[in-house]
Amino acid sequence: MQISSKEVFFLISLITIIFLIAPLFMIAYVSLYNRRKKKHNEETESLKKAFENELLRSQMEVQEQTLKTVASDLHDNIGQLLGLTIITLSSININDPAKAKEKIAAAEDLAKRSVKELRALSRLLDGEELISRGLIGAIAFELDWLEKSQLFKIRYHSSVKTLPAKAGKETIIFRLFQETLHNIIRHAKALEIIINLEFINDLLILSIADDGIGFNFTEIKKLHKGMGLQNIQKRVAMIGGTVSFDTAPGTGTKTTITIPY
Amino acid sequence: MTLYFTVNTVIEFFCLLIACLCLYKDRDPIWRLCILYLLFTCATEVSAIHIRKVLNQSNLPLYNVFLLIECGFISTFFYYLYKRYVNKTKWLMVWLSVFTLLFFGELMNNHFLSFTFKTASVLSLVFVLASLYFYYLILKDEKFERLYNYAPFWWVNGTLIFYFGSTSTNIFFDYLIQDKISNFAHSIRYIIFNILNVLLYCCWSYAFLCKYLQRKSSSSLA
Repeated sequence: MQISSKEVFFLISLITIIFLIAPLFMIAYVSLYNRRKKKHNEETESLKKAFENELLRSQMEVQEQTLKTVASDLHDNIGQLLGLTIITLSSININDPAKAKEKIAAAEDLAKRSVKELRALSRLLDGEELISRGLIGAIAFELDWLEKSQLFKIRYHSSVKTLPAKAGKETIIFRLFQETLHNIIRHAKALEIIINLEFINDLLILSIADDGIGFNFTEIKKLHKGMGLQNIQKRVAMIGGTVSFDTAPGTGTKTTITIPY
Repeated sequence: MTLYFTVNTVIEFFCLLIACLCLYKDRDPIWRLCILYLLFTCATEVSAIHIRKVLNQSNLPLYNVFLLIECGFISTFFYYLYKRYVNKTKWLMVWLSVFTLLFFGELMNNHFLSFTFKTASVLSLVFVLASLYFYYLILKDEKFERLYNYAPFWWVNGTLIFYFGSTSTNIFFDYLIQDKISNFAHSIRYIIFNILNVLLYCCWSYAFLCKYLQRKSSSSLA
């Protein structure tokens, strides 16, 4: 069968049109994908910003908490020591050298204790310094202060000796720990606090349990009272972890935070 | 004189003008080389018209020579475009060697008389693949580029449209070179190439404009 020139013309034109449309679709696809890439980049950027904001907030809260501890320590501990030193010194009778010597020695001892306490306090004052000890060191340091208050019996168990340094994550985890501890101090009416720190298969598991009054988690959440709890949940989610609250009225509370580390 | 004013020559000179204005002071030597390449293209086109219409001789040997320049320039340009993402010096060397072998093989086979259309078809196919590979690199790259004013993207768009669109005419080259459609003054191959040239040089002109604006904005920032 003979093909006419017109048929060839039609055929070639058709093929050319198809071959022209194909690259246009290709260009459209690349542009569309690129736009999605832009959107994805923007989302990643905003998540990064949110994380940085949260980190900054955590750092500020750690500092705030530290200042509160410092204030109460100054008032309850160092203030008392210095007051006692003043009383001791003012009661010295120069005419009774033997007693005066004894009192001066006692005042010196009190002043030395005050200096020691002040040094410890100055170390605590720098929130960043606290984190620079590493998460494990910071947790232990915080618990030491709490134990000194003699308000709670503290049981701390950690199977982790060292953790790889991850500055941002460490600050947020430490703040989560502080927040949970603060909740126990304020609301739980507990006598004993048990802290467990484990590191299994790149997962850091921090559990904080108390023998306090506990609470109805569902009800608290429904009444939108547990802003602190929501804050903990939000922060844990931000670093890709999970948190569970095992509690009921009268049975104490166990908060378990699991974070990929 | 009007003999030399065809759709092809007008669009080519227009693109050359844009290239001269936009790329004259460009920092990338490869982009500046576009001016020289377009100058060669225009000279080839005008000479081809002269040989065909004035001297009444076949201009195919001229296009054979131009094919060498075309391959050399476009391949090198692609190589420089890839360089931002990957280094493919070996690919360039292998491809240029294969092309030289094919080109001279076909030329000798034709006794230097006709156009090396088989080599031109391979060339088109390779440039289509090169354009698609460039898209792949853009998609793979984590960095985001605003494509609507990204000069390399528009340069590749023009190249892809031209070489992909010319596939059918390359396939039917033997037939088309003889064919005259009564309704048109020129062969269908000529009409298709007119359309493709317009698309190619419009995309390239836009790419040169983007490059100019990019240079201007970066120099004003500095």
